[in-house]
Amino acid sequence: MTTLAALEKGHELPPASFDLSEEWVDAYIASVEDEAIGVLDGGFVPPMAVAALAIRALLDQASLPPATLHAGQELAFTAPVRPGEALTVAARIASRGERAGWILMGVELGVARDGAAVMTGRATLSFPVAEGEAA
Amino acid sequence: MTQQRTSLAVGAALPTVTKTITQEKINAYALAGGDGNPLHIDPAFAANTQFGGTIAHGMLVLAYVSEMLTAAFGEDWPASGRLKVRFRAPTRPGDTLTSSGTVTSVDGGKTRCTIECRNEGGEVLVSGEAEVSR
Repeated sequence: MTTLAALEKGHELPPASFDLSEEWVDAYIASVEDEAIGVLDGGFVPPMAVAALAIRALLDQASLPPATLHAGQELAFTAPVRPGEALTVAARIASRGERAGWILMGVELGVARDGAAVMTGRATLSFPVAEGEAA
Repeated sequence: MTQQRTSLAVGAALPTVTKTITQEKINAYALAGGDGNPLHIDPAFAANTQFGGTIAHGMLVLAYVSEMLTAAFGEDWPASGRLKVRFRAPTRPGDTLTSSGTVTSVDGGKTRCTIECRNEGGEVLVSGEAEVSR
């Protein structure tokens, strides 16, 4: 499998489809101990569950180098999502630079339902230059 | 939720969320999130990194921040929320995290807040801004 370290600026990962199964949502809520979920009257999933599963779908295509650090995160939610819905995530390497022996990478991702965005985001990741060279 | 909507004026504090991180919780998140980075789940690997031990996923910590924002803003959060944060320091097993936030402006239908997450020692682990349309 490709690692993110091997990808250059502008690289686009192919869109990946995933389902927010009720089983997975329950496992997610348990893992993060979300006690506010009951506030969402419409039976919606925690918005971070959408982000987490989208990232999981991406990691099926390109793995993280072992020492990757999460330096920053931007997220914008545009529509709530319910368990059982089918979503698609697409991502691209928006930036890649090097500083003090570390590669800094910006990864933009967009999650859509039936072609309409439900979430966009940008993760800033860093990993040792050696990881990029090894890739 | 309606009561919260009417009470969040400039200067209002968001309801805090406090969680204690354990390796078991990190492992559970790794399974759910599909992120098996050994920095999070492999103590032997992590011991040889700059951190000297495992650290929690950033997205796990953000889940706690998002829980706070859901409690504060209800369905407006998943419908229109925006979040921009930087991870300032690692979150380690044993840390007790408190997420907090303060409304900084209410203007043009948008409520903006500063948010942060600190450990029990007061160290800022995550800081940033959130915005919700209401």
